[in-house]
Amino acid sequence: MKIHTANDYKSDLKPIWCPGCGDYGVLTVLTRALASINRPPHEIAFISGIGCSSRIPGYTTAYGFNTVHGRALPIAQGIKLANPELLVLVASGDGDGFSIGGGHLAHVVRRNIDLTYIVMDNQIYGLTKGQLSPTSRQGLKTVSSNQGSLEEPVNPLLYMLAFGAGYVAQGTPIDMAGLAKIIEDGIRYPGFAFINVQSPCITYGEAESQMKAQKEKVESLEKMGHDPADRLRAMALAQEYGTKLYTGVFYRNPAPPPAHGERVAQRHAAYKASPPVKGDILKLFTPSV
Amino acid sequence: MAGSGGDGIVSAGESLIAAAAMEGYHAMMTKSFGSQIRGGESSCRVRVSAQPVLNPNGTLHVAVAFNWEDFKKFGAELPVGPQTVVIYESSTGVAPDKLPLEGIKPAVVFSVPIEELAKKTAETDKAKNIVVLGLLAGWFGVGRQTMVAGIHKKFAKKGPKIVEGNERAFNAGVEYAETHPLKEGRKLAAPVGGGGTKLLTDGNDICAAAAIFAGCTFFGGYPITPSSEIMQFLDREIWKYGGTVLQAEDEIAGVGAALGASFAGKKSMTATSGPGMSLKTEILGLASISELPLVCVNVQRGGPSTGVPTKSEQSDLFQAAFSAHGDCLRPVLAPINVGDTFGITVEAFNIAEHYQTPVIVLSDQEISQRKETVVPIDTSAFQLVERRRPTEAELVDYSRFRFTESGISPVSHPGMPGGNYLASGIEHNEDGSPTAGGEMHAKMNEKRFRKFAPLKNRRDLFLLEGDADAPIGMVSWGSVAGVAMEALRLAQAEGLQVKLLVPKLLYPISEVIYQDFFASVKRGLFIEQSHQAQLYRLVQMFTSIPARVQPLAKSGSNPILPVEVLERLRSMVLSIQSNQPNQPAAELE
Repeated sequence: MKIHTANDYKSDLKPIWCPGCGDYGVLTVLTRALASINRPPHEIAFISGIGCSSRIPGYTTAYGFNTVHGRALPIAQGIKLANPELLVLVASGDGDGFSIGGGHLAHVVRRNIDLTYIVMDNQIYGLTKGQLSPTSRQGLKTVSSNQGSLEEPVNPLLYMLAFGAGYVAQGTPIDMAGLAKIIEDGIRYPGFAFINVQSPCITYGEAESQMKAQKEKVESLEKMGHDPADRLRAMALAQEYGTKLYTGVFYRNPAPPPAHGERVAQRHAAYKASPPVKGDILKLFTPSV
Repeated sequence: MAGSGGDGIVSAGESLIAAAAMEGYHAMMTKSFGSQIRGGESSCRVRVSAQPVLNPNGTLHVAVAFNWEDFKKFGAELPVGPQTVVIYESSTGVAPDKLPLEGIKPAVVFSVPIEELAKKTAETDKAKNIVVLGLLAGWFGVGRQTMVAGIHKKFAKKGPKIVEGNERAFNAGVEYAETHPLKEGRKLAAPVGGGGTKLLTDGNDICAAAAIFAGCTFFGGYPITPSSEIMQFLDREIWKYGGTVLQAEDEIAGVGAALGASFAGKKSMTATSGPGMSLKTEILGLASISELPLVCVNVQRGGPSTGVPTKSEQSDLFQAAFSAHGDCLRPVLAPINVGDTFGITVEAFNIAEHYQTPVIVLSDQEISQRKETVVPIDTSAFQLVERRRPTEAELVDYSRFRFTESGISPVSHPGMPGGNYLASGIEHNEDGSPTAGGEMHAKMNEKRFRKFAPLKNRRDLFLLEGDADAPIGMVSWGSVAGVAMEALRLAQAEGLQVKLLVPKLLYPISEVIYQDFFASVKRGLFIEQSHQAQLYRLVQMFTSIPARVQPLAKSGSNPILPVEVLERLRSMVLSIQSNQPNQPAAELE
């Protein structure tokens, strides 16, 4: 079997991202993670919604689907259900994932379809030029919150843990090796995996969210001695979202339940021995008093 | 038949129509309930004939009232006329000459001790509906051959005591009818055209079955009246064929997952009704620009919004054709009855695959939920179309949206080596890479429209009934086409020269077919169940309709009856003779 390198997963398209955007780092580490996993690009489906981050599938050589705002997850689930053999990746931003598409989160988690969901969280709407996002802090002044946001942000880490996600991690492009590791680990996790990436917006993001500021506050969960099997502790740590910057695996279910696909496969296997003939389907309508 | 929730009205109706189907009759059954989820009043109408049944409505030939309070609640849905044979429960204490029917004197009235017969024979009033089936078999013949065997099968699990009790109840009904004969025999004639056993189903179930037959292996959807049974049927059956059903968290996720499955190379479907259709619109736009096949069924109900959710209407045609952002064309197909839904659904998959496009199937509540006999369908006569996949040679330097003469480009799917591409909602170059260039956008739009050119010439998606030279022409679609067909038969029986055009391809508009039809008539009438006469307006948008062709349009919940169409046809004959203009539809002005 061919050994793939990170370059095999990079397309020729030049990213439209601003110079210095955190998403460049995500693209780089993602191609590295894919190289370690070594699935040929044609067996990978990479789905995204709308936003700066959602351009990412086009910058890879995988089959990509840059869909509509907020709907990457449902579309990706259909792809995985239709062809369970595929490696399915999903990319979003905080607006795409937690605002317009927020209604899908609880359901993608409870279904536990084997997808890896990478959100590039920059606490701002970049593509539409600097409006308030669902993860923007209270008080943030933007073009759509001129006197400061009146709302508290959502806490995506806590949401996903509370919904019951089996794999929840956070990374940042300032630690490329660490981010590559959790992306690879998330892909290898047999079920739905969520990775929040603190990927700063260089154009509209606050100074405190930039890589320089991140370097001063980042703390590694591993170094802190956090046990990723401890879900309650993970939830306690996740409460610090927005104030502290923890990276690494918050929670990895030590005994993953069967993913949705396994249950589907079992159901299909029951019929495989004697599949019905399609042309006979109308026999179901034979009348009977 | 009408009665209270516990009377087994629907169960009796189902047994009756099943017996009719087994005995080779044509039949249709509709049900209606009070607004309660459980209990309350309940009714069903069964129309049985030796000839094909085209429409379920009209004045009753036989009315069965388990009690008059509940019967009366259905008002115009169960119209009794002078020709009706009325059968009712004698323990109601209502005198045969004092029926609560406001001035109508039915031809024949039977006050039957239904409950007493049930208790006497089956030792339970639960067998009242079986007694009624016996009465109907005795007086009208339907069920005579099949009902006893049916009762044995139906109640087998409940033990021999129940089986025998019900058999006695049925026989008591038959015997009662025989000892109280109708003065004029009303027994149904033997079925024509071979009279072999028919299939029996409703529009939603047969739509789902057609999807499986067409090769659909993925359904994503969300429950909504009156389309939920499509998902429910598929959930029972599709797994057996290696397929999957996803009951999604909302309408958008349902269609999204279906589009994802199509991107992954599988035939897929979603189904909904008007409000859900609104939510699906954005993803349908994505399907159009990414040129992916997808079948989306909209079982229409009365709208807007929750509207009249349990009644039929044809008011989502504009939505089907136009609720898209940007320039795009989505084919819209409409079946005319339950049996036709099979072929139309298969056709929808074929068109979706061939043209790489979303296709809307516009069914309606009437078709979707009424039970109907279907003449057995020869499935071997259908050809199934698969999307055009790239050849080995085309996969070298593959270009997903390559400009071709037909406008149709070979489509790969994840898993296919060398076919890797970026599908997107953003405008793209031939290779799928994003572009904001106006020139490429114009060229892609042109490609995405050009590919549909052959579709407009599909004359096989139009039915033409009646005398081709007739000076009076009707146009009707969906379930209402059945009303127009019945009106056509009535008119022909009166010696009127009438014809009927039934488009099953509603969009894109086939200008030539309509123009030929308009040119051939002196008076014309679009018959539609919507306030706006949406097909009439839609055709008008793409081609001119002469003033001698007018709409007859009615909002849902008020079924258009063949007799009112007939009346209008008569007045059109007179308007030709007197050289008066065709009467315009007042409410549209």
